[in-house]
Amino acid sequence: MSSTSVAKPLAPSAAQGRPARRRRRWTTERVVFTSLNTTFLVALAVIMVYPLLNTLAISLNDGMDAVRGGIGIWPRVFSLRNYEIVLNMDTIYQAFIMSTLKTVVVVATNLFFTSMLAFALSRKEFIFRRPITLIFVLTLYFDAGLIPNYLLIKDLGMLNSFQAYWVPVMISAFNLIILRTYMKSIPEEITESARMDGAGDFRTWWQIIMPLCKPVLAVIGLFVAVGSWNAWLDTLLYNSGDPALTTLQYELQKLLASSMNAGANSANSAANQAAVGAGGQLTTPIALRSAITMVAAVPILLVYPFLQKHFVSGLMIGSVKG
Amino acid sequence: MSAGLAACDSGEAEDGPSSAPVIPEGDLADASGTLTPSNPTTLSVWITTAQQAPAADNKITELLKEQLGVTLEYEIVTPDNVDQKIGVMLAGGDYPDLIGTTDLKMRLLEGGALLRLDDMLATGDYPNLATHVEDDIKKMSYTGGEVDDGLYIFPNYNRFYGEPTGGTYFGPAFWIQKRVLEDAGYPDLSDMTLDRYFELIADYAAANPETNGIPTVGFEVLASTGREWGMTNPPALLAGSPNNGGVIVDEDGNAEIYADKDIARDYYEVLNEQYAAGLVDPESFTLTFDQYVAKLATGAVLGMHDQGWDFQTATQSLQSAGMDEYTYVPLMPVYDGVEPWYADRPVMNTNQGFGVSVSSDQPEAALKFLDLMLSEPWQKVLSWGIAGEDYEVGDDGMFTRTEEQRANYRDLTWRASNRLDALLDVLPKHNGQFSDGNAYSPDDQPTEFFATLTEYDRGFMEQYGKQTWLEFMNPQPENPVYYPAWNITLSDDANQVNQQITDASVQNLPKIIAGDPGEFDANWEAFVDAISRIDVQVYEDAINAGIQDRIANW
Amino acid sequence: MTQAPVSTVVTASDVEPALVPAISSRAPGGKARKKKTKDPKPKITWDRIKAQRVLLLMAVPLLMYQILFKYVPVYGWSIAFQDYKPGRGSIWNQEWVGFENFVDLFTGVNGERFRRVVVNTVGQSVLSLLVGTVGAIVLALLLNEVKNLPFKRVLQNITYMPHFLSWVIVASLASVALSMPSSGGFINQVLMNVGLVDEPVLFLTEPNYFWGIVAGTNLWKELGWNTILYLAAITAIDPSQYEAAEVDGAGRYRKMWNITLPGIRPTIVVLLIINSGWILSTNFELPYFLGNGLIAEKAETIDVFVLRYGYQLGNYSLAVVAGIFKTIVAIILVGSANAAAKRLNQETLV
Repeated sequence: MSSTSVAKPLAPSAAQGRPARRRRRWTTERVVFTSLNTTFLVALAVIMVYPLLNTLAISLNDGMDAVRGGIGIWPRVFSLRNYEIVLNMDTIYQAFIMSTLKTVVVVATNLFFTSMLAFALSRKEFIFRRPITLIFVLTLYFDAGLIPNYLLIKDLGMLNSFQAYWVPVMISAFNLIILRTYMKSIPEEITESARMDGAGDFRTWWQIIMPLCKPVLAVIGLFVAVGSWNAWLDTLLYNSGDPALTTLQYELQKLLASSMNAGANSANSAANQAAVGAGGQLTTPIALRSAITMVAAVPILLVYPFLQKHFVSGLMIGSVKG
Repeated sequence: MSAGLAACDSGEAEDGPSSAPVIPEGDLADASGTLTPSNPTTLSVWITTAQQAPAADNKITELLKEQLGVTLEYEIVTPDNVDQKIGVMLAGGDYPDLIGTTDLKMRLLEGGALLRLDDMLATGDYPNLATHVEDDIKKMSYTGGEVDDGLYIFPNYNRFYGEPTGGTYFGPAFWIQKRVLEDAGYPDLSDMTLDRYFELIADYAAANPETNGIPTVGFEVLASTGREWGMTNPPALLAGSPNNGGVIVDEDGNAEIYADKDIARDYYEVLNEQYAAGLVDPESFTLTFDQYVAKLATGAVLGMHDQGWDFQTATQSLQSAGMDEYTYVPLMPVYDGVEPWYADRPVMNTNQGFGVSVSSDQPEAALKFLDLMLSEPWQKVLSWGIAGEDYEVGDDGMFTRTEEQRANYRDLTWRASNRLDALLDVLPKHNGQFSDGNAYSPDDQPTEFFATLTEYDRGFMEQYGKQTWLEFMNPQPENPVYYPAWNITLSDDANQVNQQITDASVQNLPKIIAGDPGEFDANWEAFVDAISRIDVQVYEDAINAGIQDRIANW
Repeated sequence: MTQAPVSTVVTASDVEPALVPAISSRAPGGKARKKKTKDPKPKITWDRIKAQRVLLLMAVPLLMYQILFKYVPVYGWSIAFQDYKPGRGSIWNQEWVGFENFVDLFTGVNGERFRRVVVNTVGQSVLSLLVGTVGAIVLALLLNEVKNLPFKRVLQNITYMPHFLSWVIVASLASVALSMPSSGGFINQVLMNVGLVDEPVLFLTEPNYFWGIVAGTNLWKELGWNTILYLAAITAIDPSQYEAAEVDGAGRYRKMWNITLPGIRPTIVVLLIINSGWILSTNFELPYFLGNGLIAEKAETIDVFVLRYGYQLGNYSLAVVAGIFKTIVAIILVGSANAAAKRLNQETLV
C-alpha cells in the first residue's frame, strides 16, 4: 500500500478544490495551533525519549562509575565493556536466531488463524457466531495456572520442542475481537459481490477481506511480534532443557541474574554465600542491565518503522465504500 | 529437538562394562573405574543458581571429559524463576540425574524428587562424600516426615575443613566511613555504643556538611523492598544476640520476637532523635536498592546498618575511583553490659545442595561424580583453576596469583570459558583449608587478601594494630546447637504470621523514626498495638518447636 | 488502556496480554450510529449448517483448540479448594478443604487487609485507565494534526519507545525523578525553580499521591504504545466526511469533535469494555518497586499481596483463590459494560 499523506486523499475527490486550498493557507489560527502543537509534541517526545537515552548512556558508561548515579543522556566515563560482556555471551547469537524464528512463526500463524476465525465471526449469518465469540472473550479474563498448562504441553509431547513456542499462542482473543470489529465494518456489498462472482467463504476471506485488513493486520502483527519477542516464561517452563531452543530474552535474563548474584532473594541465606559472590566483575549490575535492555529492545524497536507505513497512511475502505 | 534428552539415557552405560576401563594417569582420574574416558557418561544436571552457564569452549568441561569421560548437560534456573519451575517439575515427575537445589522450602525433597542416599554412602564407594557428612550427619539429614528420614542433599557451603580463613567481613554491622575515624584521630572502637557511634557521625557531619559538592548524609536506614532487615535487625545485635532473624533466643533455647520489646524501642528512639537532629536521611524509606547503592557510592553517606555482602558494589565503585577513605569499617555498638555478637561462625544451609534424582537410571555414576568433585584435586581445579594458568604455586606450596590472574577471576566473560561457576555454586565444597594449608578459594587466601589491600587500607589497619577487617569484629564463639533460628522450616501459618510481623514493622517503623519526637510514645504504642493484634504465639511456638527439635537431634 | 493483566504468573500462552486498542473503520455518524436493529439471531438448521460448512470448518477446529488450551486446564483451579502442598505430588493427591481458602481470604487474619488491597487495586487501575485512555486519544488527535509526515513518524516512534523498557528500569527512573534534588529529583527541581514549592516534596512518602504517581508513570511508559490503534482508526475515517464538513465551514475543533472522535468511538468503546475486565489486574511492578512502608496502605495491590502471602510463603491455594476472585469480578464487569454498550447502541464485544 502506497503511503499517502492524510491530506492527499482530499485532493482528487474534492473537485472544487476550495476546501483544500483553504486548508493550506497559513491563517493566524493555524500558525498558533501548529506552533503550540509542535512545541507540545516535541516536549512530550523529549520526556518520552529520555528513558531510552538514559539507559543507552548508562550502558555505554563504565560500570563502577555508573553505580554513583546521576548519569543523564551522555555517558560520564565511556566504556564498551558492558556490551562486550553481553555480546561475548556464548549463546547469544543462537538465542537471537531462535528468538527471531520464533517471532516470525508466531506472527505468521497467529495472524493466519486469528484472522480466519475473525472472518467467520464477523459474518452476521454465521450460526454459532455468538457462543463462539463468548467462549473466546472469556479467555481474556482467566488463567488456569502454570501447572495444568505445563501438563498439557507435556501430554501433547511438546516439551523441549519448537512447537511449544507457537502452538499454545495460535489465537489471541484480544486481537480476534479487534479484527472481528474491523471486519464487521467492511461493507457487506463487498462480500456479496464476491459471492456473486462465485467465490466461496474461504476465498472471500483470503482474497477479498484480508487485503482490506492490511492496516489492522500490521498493528496486530506488531503487538504479536513484540509479545513473542519479549516472552521468556515459555522458554523457562517448556524448553529450558534444550540449549538449542533458548531465546534471547531468557539468556539475557539469566545473565542479569548472574551479575546480581550477591543480592539473592533471602538476605539471610545470601549472607552465607557472600564470600563466593563477592568477586566483583569489573562492571556492575546497573550498567550491565542497561546494556542488556538495549540489546533486547533495539531489534524489536526496529520493527515499528517498517510496519508504520501500513497504518499511518489512509485506508482504502473509504474509497471502496464510495 | 529432544535428542539431548535421549542421549543422557542408558545408551552408553550398557556397552560400558564389557570393555575394561582405561583409567588416565594423575590424581584427577577416578581410580575406581566408574567414570573413565573409555566409558563415557552423560549426566543431566539441573541447578538453581544465579551463576552463568559455562561457555561451549570451557576448559574445565574439556578436562572433565578428558579425565572422567563425563559430559554434563545443564539446565540452569535462576533463583528468581525457581518457584515456577519447581512447581511444574514436580507436576511432571521427570527429573535429570543430578538436582542442585537452593530451595529453602525443600519442595523437591519433600515432593519425592530426590533419592535417599544413606545406603549408597554406606557401601564405602564414595569416600569423599562419606567424610564430608560423617560429623554432621544428623544436621544434614531430613527429618520432616514427608518422606523417609535420611540424607538427600549435600549442603553446598560451610562444612569446614581446618580453620575458616579470610580477611573480609561480610556480616551485619553498623558501618562507618574510614574518613570519619581518621578525622576523629582513630578513636578506640572497643565498647562501642550507639551514642558514641552517632556522636562520631554528628561531629564529622557538622564539620563537613558537604561531600564533593553534595550534602553529607549522616546515617542511611536500609529499608528497600526485600531488604527491610536493615531496619528491623539491629535491636537484637545491640542486645548482644547473634542473628537469629526475628527472634532472640535465650540460653535455655527459648525464642521470642523482639520487634515490640524495649531493646527495639530504645534503638528506634535513638534513630528518631537522630532523625530530628537531621542526621538520618529523610529519603531512607523511599530509596530503591539501586538508589541506596548509588548514594553510598557517591561517598556522601557516613554510616548505615547493613550486611557486608549487600553493598559490595558500592565499595568496589569507591575503590575503583580511588576513594578508599570513603569505604566502610564495621563497628559493633551494643547496649550497656552486653558483649557484641555480630560476627558468627558461618552455618550450613542443609536444604541447599546437590542430590541424586529418583528418575536417574545411573545413580551410582551420578553420586560418584559428586564424590570425585569433592576430592581435593578437583576442588582445587574448580575453585582455583589450573596451576600455572590461573594461579601460581610458590616454593612453599602456597598458592598466589598475578595481577592478570586476579583480573581474569573478576571477568564474567573469562569465567564462562574457564570456570564452572554454576556447577560449583551448588556442589559440596571443601570450605576452610586444604590439607596442604591453602585456603579453599582465592577469596579466603590470607596472602591474596594482603596482596590486594590498598596503601590507604594498610595504613588504616596499622593505626588500629589489626591485620584484617575480620579482626575489627568480635571473636566468633561456637554456635549454639540450634543456630541459626532463621532457617527453621515453618508451617504455613507460622510463615504467615512472620510475614505479618515484617509488614507491621515496615509500615510502622518509618513513621516512628521520621515522626515528631514528641509523638514518639504514641507512634510506638500504635506499633506495639499492631503487633499485639497478630497471633505472634503461633510463630514463636513454631520457632521454639524447631529449636527444641534441633537441640534433641543435632 | 494502560491496563495489562500483569500478574506474578503470566501464562506463556498470552502473547500480548497488554492492552491493544481496537481498530474500526466504521463510518462515523453514518450507518453505525443509526443501526437500531440488533444483529439477527440465526436459527440453526441443517440447511444452514450445510450452507455454512466452510465457515464452520474455519471456526470449529479453532474453537476445539481454544477449549483444549484454555478451558481444559481450568481443572487446575481445584487447588483453590485444597490445602495444596507441592510436596504431595499431583493435584489429585491433595487434602480437600472446600471453600475454606475463600472464606479465609475475605474474613481471615488478613481479611481486612485484603479488602484494602482490592480498593487500592481498583483505585490505581481506574485512574490509570482514565488517564491512559484520555491521554492516548488526545495524543492521537494531536499527532493527526501534524501534516509533516516524516516529523509525525519520528514523533510516533519516539513516543512508543518507553514501552520497551522493563518496569524495573521505569520504576527506578520514576523513583529518581521523584526524589530530592540532590539525588537527581528533577521534578522537585522544576517545582522549586518555578516557585510552586519552597521545600522539596518527598512524593513517595505521601500515601495520597501514590495512585497519581502510578497513573502518571503508566502514562509515561504506555502513552505512545496505546496511541497506535487510535491512530490507525483515525486514518481509516472516510476523508470525504472532512471535505463535507469543510464545505459546511467547520473549523479544526469541530472536525475533531464531530468527525474524528465519533470515527474512533467503536475503538474506544471496545477497548473500554475489554479493559473494564482488567480493573483488578493492575500492573504489579510499580506498587512493588515504588511502594514502601510509609505508603503501603495506598500502595499494596492484590498482586503484591498474593506475592507476599501466596507465592513467597508457598501458599499456592491463596494465589489461585485470588485469581478466581479476579475472574469472577472481571466477567461481571465486562458483562455489565457490554450490556451498557448494547443499550447505548455502541459497539459490543459479544
